[in-house]
Amino acid sequence: MRLVNAELFKLRSTSLWWIMGIVLLPLYAASVLANWAQYANTNAGDVSDPDQAEAVRAALEPINVATSMYTSGQYFGILILLLLAAIIVTSEFFHLTATTTFLVTPRRESVILAKFGAAVLVGVLLWLLTTVLNLIFVPPIMSNLDLGSQLGEPAVWRAIGLNLLAFVLWAVLGVGLGVLIRSQLAATLLLGIVYVVGTPAVGLIFFLLTRYVADWFDKLQVLFPPNASQLMISGTDLPGNPPRWVGAVVLIGYAVITGVIGTLITKRRDIS
Amino acid sequence: MSDDIVVDHLTKQYKKLRAVDDLSFSVRSSRVTGFLGPNGAGKTTTLRMLLGLVTPTAGNATIGGQKYTELPDPIRHVGAVLEASSAHRGRTGRNHLRMICRAAGLPDSRADEVLALVGLTPAANRKFKGFSLGMKQRLGIAAAMLGDPRVLILDEPANGLDPEGIHWMRDLLKAFAAEGRTVLVSSHLLGEMQLLADDVVIVAAGKLIRQGPVDEVLGSMGAAQVKVRTPQPAELTTALASLDGVTVAPQADGSLLISGTGAAAVGHAAFTASVELHELASERGDLEQVFLQLTAGMAGIR
Repeated sequence: MRLVNAELFKLRSTSLWWIMGIVLLPLYAASVLANWAQYANTNAGDVSDPDQAEAVRAALEPINVATSMYTSGQYFGILILLLLAAIIVTSEFFHLTATTTFLVTPRRESVILAKFGAAVLVGVLLWLLTTVLNLIFVPPIMSNLDLGSQLGEPAVWRAIGLNLLAFVLWAVLGVGLGVLIRSQLAATLLLGIVYVVGTPAVGLIFFLLTRYVADWFDKLQVLFPPNASQLMISGTDLPGNPPRWVGAVVLIGYAVITGVIGTLITKRRDIS
Repeated sequence: MSDDIVVDHLTKQYKKLRAVDDLSFSVRSSRVTGFLGPNGAGKTTTLRMLLGLVTPTAGNATIGGQKYTELPDPIRHVGAVLEASSAHRGRTGRNHLRMICRAAGLPDSRADEVLALVGLTPAANRKFKGFSLGMKQRLGIAAAMLGDPRVLILDEPANGLDPEGIHWMRDLLKAFAAEGRTVLVSSHLLGEMQLLADDVVIVAAGKLIRQGPVDEVLGSMGAAQVKVRTPQPAELTTALASLDGVTVAPQADGSLLISGTGAAAVGHAAFTASVELHELASERGDLEQVFLQLTAGMAGIR
């Protein structure tokens, strides 16, 4: 526990955390507004393809609008969390503090575990922040959409809970990827770009594969982590999508794999 | 528990380079031991293996009979200063130390105590990027002192210190050893070691060259020399030629440098040969010359 405390202290004693916070707030506001605009302007009647119309109709059900609105900020919140979690590891090598850290605690697995712990706590904090903001700002938006607050629906609370799980899993994933990539510049650029550009790029690749190779490729989209966490928080099972638990399993899988490999690598690596 | 450091047949093989090659030596407590070698001799790799940061290919190294990684709360036993620039640029000196305190379960107040010890209190709240090289070295030493360790290991601590800083560090380390603790200091600055160290361990190309008390290592190399100034250098050279193992080297300034014997024997030879002397002085062996002799041809890029 004292190692987790030390890791959190490391994070608090540099300016990184508030810079990330300043970056997050406008991004959060933008995603709430974008969600609002999207639901205010979409109409199932406008879509000609019957399959897609069905999917849009499902997405526009009050409960699905609610789960989406009440988890606003997940996309950017997790982006920030992913970068923070990776930097918790890479900054030790970037600033050559790994030597000091491992001199104080030669059992390196304890250090990595503490970093997982600290990143998870940061994830919980970010979840708490976005959730509190959502509970303040979303109800008026919901009434503006004539849908009611929907806060009585268990599905909304389940989505908020699963959103927490997504934050926790992404925190673990970020630390694991930070160990694997190690170079601070490479890690932040790579993770940032893959996360942001990756979703449409992967969507396009899977679209082409589905169209020209085989239909079942469409089901594999969930293997891309951001898609998995999006799926996990949907309110009801949406037509044409795998069930929610698949998203959770995929994320847990990635988190465990990167976590274990990252820990093993750190244990063996020479620190010089 | 003894606080001796024992390095036992330690080897580190990198892909193409044998950085440390079957190296064995020991370091005793209550003494300052200089760990000497040219750049690239394997000093840093050896210290990192001793501290569990680098895994040896073969052999092992212990401190007080235990491996560093097996010590409970190691920084309460062993303080190490490995690289001066190892702190986050955006963190203050005090927070750098507090971070270590938290991880080691020491009270935050220790940070301020060691800052005072190394004279950095005025810069406690300054960020690391604003530190001079000398201040960074002091902060590194402060970090090593946090756990009030019995053993202190320093890698090139004099780098970047000004003469006043070097003097300060010399006094600090000597006082530390005088309290019965163990001090191991690596350096390639030989003059400094001659003033500071009680024992030396000399390595080159990853191998042990010589170890022992400074005076013994100097003596064993026949490093002692006698400097003579005389208006009759030819006569004196002839007189000394009868002595075994004595060499005479004329110097550019007109003096003679005589090795292989003592000042008394030279004075006696001059007296019996009726050679007039203007100067006769024993020159203490110079560690730097011994070092260059010992490591000749082994330094350089490997």
